[in-house]
Amino acid sequence: MLIATLAWRDLMRDRFFLFCNVAIMVGILVPLLVLFGVKNGVYSALIGEMLADPANRQIDTQGNASFTDRDLAPLRGWPEIAFLTPKVRGQFDFMNVRAKGGRRMRPALIIPTGGGDPTLPRGTEIAGNQVAVSAQLAAQLDLDAGTELQLISQAEGRPRQLVLPVTVAVILPETATAGRAVLAPFEMLDLIEAFYDSYSLPDHGITGTRDLADRVPSYEGVRVYARGLEDVAALQARIEDHLSIGTTARTREVESLLGLGRKLNLALGLTAALAALGLGAALVLGFWSDVSRKKTVLAGIALLGIPGHTLALFPVVQALITSLAGLALSFLLYLGAGRIAGAMFGQGLPDGASLTQIPAAQGVAICLGVLVLVLGAAAVAAWSAQRLDPASVLREGS
Amino acid sequence: MVRGLTLTDGRIELRDRDRAFRLQVDELTLAPGQAVALTGASGSGKTLLLELLGLLRAPGKGTVFLCDGKNLATLWGRGVRDADLARMRGQLFGFVPQTGALMPFLSVTENIALPQHVTGREDAAWCTALIDRLGIGDVASLMPGALSIGQRQRVAIARALAHRPPFVIADEPTAALDSDSADVVLDLLLAAAKEQDSGVILSSHDTDRVARFGIPRLALTTESQNGVVTSRLEPAPC
Repeated sequence: MLIATLAWRDLMRDRFFLFCNVAIMVGILVPLLVLFGVKNGVYSALIGEMLADPANRQIDTQGNASFTDRDLAPLRGWPEIAFLTPKVRGQFDFMNVRAKGGRRMRPALIIPTGGGDPTLPRGTEIAGNQVAVSAQLAAQLDLDAGTELQLISQAEGRPRQLVLPVTVAVILPETATAGRAVLAPFEMLDLIEAFYDSYSLPDHGITGTRDLADRVPSYEGVRVYARGLEDVAALQARIEDHLSIGTTARTREVESLLGLGRKLNLALGLTAALAALGLGAALVLGFWSDVSRKKTVLAGIALLGIPGHTLALFPVVQALITSLAGLALSFLLYLGAGRIAGAMFGQGLPDGASLTQIPAAQGVAICLGVLVLVLGAAAVAAWSAQRLDPASVLREGS
Repeated sequence: MVRGLTLTDGRIELRDRDRAFRLQVDELTLAPGQAVALTGASGSGKTLLLELLGLLRAPGKGTVFLCDGKNLATLWGRGVRDADLARMRGQLFGFVPQTGALMPFLSVTENIALPQHVTGREDAAWCTALIDRLGIGDVASLMPGALSIGQRQRVAIARALAHRPPFVIADEPTAALDSDSADVVLDLLLAAAKEQDSGVILSSHDTDRVARFGIPRLALTTESQNGVVTSRLEPAPC
């Protein structure tokens, strides 16, 4: 395209003015990018730490209530719930644990689990006779994945104790669950509760006072994991409203961090808006004055028969080249500044975390935003260019 | 090839708060390949008439501006920034402004080839021939900033002729040159235009030089009445 070639050639001849406009862009964009990158880096490190502990997304019902399957069924369809399991009554969730044939025995909290439980390593499936074991319990009993265990009831005064043979499916990392804990399928906890409620469990050699077939399952509450940190507060309120029961969750800590993120975004957004205003004004005047300075040249091009609407592309092409150069240089300097800042201030961050981060999608959005701003600024120059009178070449030269 | 230009009842009126300038051309005919010089005092409207002829200035009502049977005055109907008007200007005319008005970011060769690219009449061999004809071969690769004023005018002439337009409009093409250079440049303009059968419409203060070159002269004479200056085009003796 002829006009693009002419614009490029003119821009290369007037490199000094190109550098001026690029310098204006870089001077405004680089500090903004660094600020944005640092905000992203620090915030995502904090969020990452919070997300690393699934307990931050956990909502636990409090107290002993009694719910049926019908009460809990609607919750299973709530999209903000990543994982849900009913809970048995609190006094029945401790069992003694020992390795099969082992001599050491430790009491441990039995926690219901299932596929999708964020406490479990991603992709872990727990079969009906399998359990996950906390790091502390595994260390105390020398357990490994595949070890056969016995869960033994602590019920006193019963003629026979309940002994459940299970296999260790996975040893949980220390960060997953504190203390001695066994994560078992809910059906296993339901069985334990039935045992404590004196139901007969013929499969386990237990003779009780009540027939298991007569038992109507009843749950003390639920343990729920929200899909995201942003869902915790609303989900907690929704569960409390639906079940009319109190819950515990780390809502205050989560909301505090999310609130910090929102405030940082707002502050950065306002800063970016002011900077964009300044950059836009500088570029409008810069591109406009360029057209004014090159009035004779542009009118000379029009004199040769190039229509006004084509001539209008001249400053637009130059603005596009300027903005691409400005963006490329800005991101290069941002990367350099990010490395320096990381080396100087990044010691407190988790391993592998970067002090400055701009994800690709955000980078593309920033580039598009800047291009729109620059092209908007160039539109004023384009309007000015297409209004140039080619006759001025004759009139003002004579 | 275009047969010629005929301007009939050409009228332009310029007006500001307390002054008015009126240009009247009853009839101006330019045959193919013909050269004509517009002379007149400063402020007599020579440049204004060149603008009118070069499709750079909208004619007043009633103006008929025929070229090949087409009334060019109607091109202004869609406004001063109409694309067809601009394209027609590029197709019909080559311009030699007083100052050359070369593109400072293009070399001499590229400047000369530019109208060919604009009009789609690419002809590199003709560009080379013009460069040779106008004696600017040794500066063909230079940028305009490195040229003397005389060299720039030669380049402007070559550029005006490069796309073989039917007419060349030259506004005081020798005004910035010394006498010897002016003769050379004017001679080159007229000769090169004649070679390709392009008509030449030039304006000049220098009636002696115009007479010496035997260019038919049309004079713009002005009269002032009630704050209105009226300029009329009349044949002038050679």
